[in-house]
Amino acid sequence: MLKRILGDRVYSLLALLTLVIIVATFIYPETFPTFGNFRQILLNLSTDTIVAVGMMVLLISGAFDLSVGSVVAFSGCLTAYLLQFAGAPVPVAIAAGLLASVLIGFVNGWLIAYQGINPMIQTLAMMGIVRGLALLVSGSGIQNLPYWFNAIGQSRLLGIQMPVWYMLLVVAVFAFLVNRTILFRRYYYIGGNEKAAELSGIRVKRMQVMAFLLSALLAGVAGILLSSRLGAALPTMGRGLELRVITAVILGGASLGGGQGKIGGALLGALFMGIVGNLMVLARVSGYWQEIILGLILIVTLWADKYLQKRYNAT
Amino acid sequence: MLQLRQISKSFPGVKALRSVDLDVRAGEIHALCGENGAGKSTLMNILAGNLQPDAGAITINGTDTRLHTPADAFALGIGIVYQHLSLIDSMSVAENIFANQQPVNAWGLIRFHELYRRTQALLKALNLESISPSTTVSSLTPAQRQMVEIAKALSRDPTLFILDEPTAALSEKETVTLFMILRSMRGAGIAIIYISHRLEEIFRLADRVTIIKDGASQGTFEAKALTRPMLISKMVGRELANHAPSPERGGPVVLEVNGLSGRKFRDVSFRLHAGEILGLAGLVGAGRTEIARALFGVDPYRGLVRLHGKAFHPRHPADAIQRAIAYVPEDRQRSGIFPSMSLRDNVIAAALPRVSRRGLYREQIASEKVLAAKASLRISATSLTQPVGLLSGGNQQKVMLARWLMTHPEVLIVDEPTHGIDVGAKYEIYELLEALAQKGTAVLVISSEMPELIGLCSRLLVIREGRISGTLTGSEITEEHIMSLAAI
Repeated sequence: MLKRILGDRVYSLLALLTLVIIVATFIYPETFPTFGNFRQILLNLSTDTIVAVGMMVLLISGAFDLSVGSVVAFSGCLTAYLLQFAGAPVPVAIAAGLLASVLIGFVNGWLIAYQGINPMIQTLAMMGIVRGLALLVSGSGIQNLPYWFNAIGQSRLLGIQMPVWYMLLVVAVFAFLVNRTILFRRYYYIGGNEKAAELSGIRVKRMQVMAFLLSALLAGVAGILLSSRLGAALPTMGRGLELRVITAVILGGASLGGGQGKIGGALLGALFMGIVGNLMVLARVSGYWQEIILGLILIVTLWADKYLQKRYNAT
Repeated sequence: MLQLRQISKSFPGVKALRSVDLDVRAGEIHALCGENGAGKSTLMNILAGNLQPDAGAITINGTDTRLHTPADAFALGIGIVYQHLSLIDSMSVAENIFANQQPVNAWGLIRFHELYRRTQALLKALNLESISPSTTVSSLTPAQRQMVEIAKALSRDPTLFILDEPTAALSEKETVTLFMILRSMRGAGIAIIYISHRLEEIFRLADRVTIIKDGASQGTFEAKALTRPMLISKMVGRELANHAPSPERGGPVVLEVNGLSGRKFRDVSFRLHAGEILGLAGLVGAGRTEIARALFGVDPYRGLVRLHGKAFHPRHPADAIQRAIAYVPEDRQRSGIFPSMSLRDNVIAAALPRVSRRGLYREQIASEKVLAAKASLRISATSLTQPVGLLSGGNQQKVMLARWLMTHPEVLIVDEPTHGIDVGAKYEIYELLEALAQKGTAVLVISSEMPELIGLCSRLLVIREGRISGTLTGSEITEEHIMSLAAI
């Protein structure tokens, strides 16, 4: 039992999260364990989590995408631009925003899988290009978006804002896909040994393109939700999001080497970071320290993992 | 000059060298020959300081010597040209040749002028004026790289010069240059050990020949006193494996290959019958693996292939699997297993649709099938979730076979099926292949171990430099026949 908890990051992170929540409840009984606070924590991490789900699929397959933060900004800005200046109806504008995101994902995936460009270089370049496109489209930002567009991200169900529900829906759908369908299970094989996967009849390149496409699509969804929630599209949206998301996904059990991780881990990793961030706000720790502490947490987690693995292999 | 006495070396499960003696004189070219896996490379690695012998003594110029590290070997004037290149692709020719011994000034900074001048001189001696010392190695042809590798070993002014299959990548012109240099080095009193299985080169170059078979020396001979048949029989002549050749079977033709050509093979034609075990023999690098990879859709090819009489041209392994072809690759570690994944996930990798319903994975079905395979192939693993990287080589190979049996192949191609696994598992794999053929599967076996081919195959194709150099059936299948068809 203990071995199972230590061996699977989803369980060990869940145990750690429970511990943090119990301790925090004792220290801040007034402010921490309230419905309002948790609603806010979840709302704040909804964008990151939706992107993290796509990133988890990529990391399972042994790749990652640095351009997601820029795609968040661009899809929001393009959708807002079409709504505001082209008079497009809401569904058309959203479809266009998502289509543009998918296109970016396709370009990334095709150049990486079929032309052999290194994923880090390719998505780093794309990160700059797409951020520039977002600036081109929106200038300093687009405000006063139509009511029906804002309603998507600002309405509530059972007292909880819609982005949280969308996030849970995305997590649930992808958890099912990755866990249960043979199509998505192929990503574990690709991440486990790309050559062996190819020789086992898995069309590795095609699958890689699809992973980048999905990651960009989810970033597009997150960007549209974010601008709907804010009622405005800003070209600075999602700045630094890619590193936060990769941190969350690694915390959630993915490895840069590929072949490992579960979709649930992406949610838990983001949740852990969200709760730790929230606690630091409650404790009035300065924003500068938050970044330092999150960095330390990541290092300690990975080190503990290595240490436990060594112990486990030794016995 | 160099004396080896009673050198022995074991690896887990294999005795690579048994009490080998070797005497090399100053000013001679001493050839070391033997089949693939006879122990030549192990012996060379001991002289290079990469491996420590379990027993025996090394004497250089009359003094007992221990070579603990490659640096010890360099210090004693041993220069080595490796079969697998040791060059760094992204650096220049000059920096590669003088790696770790660049001329430096009083400040410890590299004197590039001097470095390039000395490189230029070396390249000139090797007839390689066309290469500039500042070219990066990645832009060279394989033959030029091999020559740079030789220049690197020469730069240390060795007194004992060892070359392991140096001509594998060279054209005839470069080979001639190399031989000229080796002869002039011999004239200068340098001792040269030349490892090759190209018999013709041995007769062209060597003064004396030491033959190694199954890790034991078969004696040292004057090259002039040796003939080609004598050499072959000493290299291979060994008692047959206690395994009866399978009777000839002549089921219907399953796979018909006509004029297959690819990057490393030309104009290959053969027929594979149901229930037959056909062998592909030849030296390492002859193009056998490439033929298999083409038939499995990994590499492109030209030519006509028919499967059950219908044209077949796979563009991807998935196409081949669709048509019931299976391929167990030779490099199990790198392109076979998924080391961190479970036994179950490894076995079902090529047959995912068979363990699913409407695209949804069914762990129950997978577990049942894998348990059955685990039992019938006697795979020893603690559970279905044990990572395959932790299993022994023999068990990993059984996992590979289990993976492909799960696809119910009609054509099974196995590449070096028993490479690096223990004897017990070897025989289990032979029995398994026999049983499959008995049930009507067409089996194509690629192997460098001749007893294995002789024991398993009813028919044998020998590949030499990418072409079929002969077909052997029944009693014609002997090591001497294979070797004389395979040797260059």
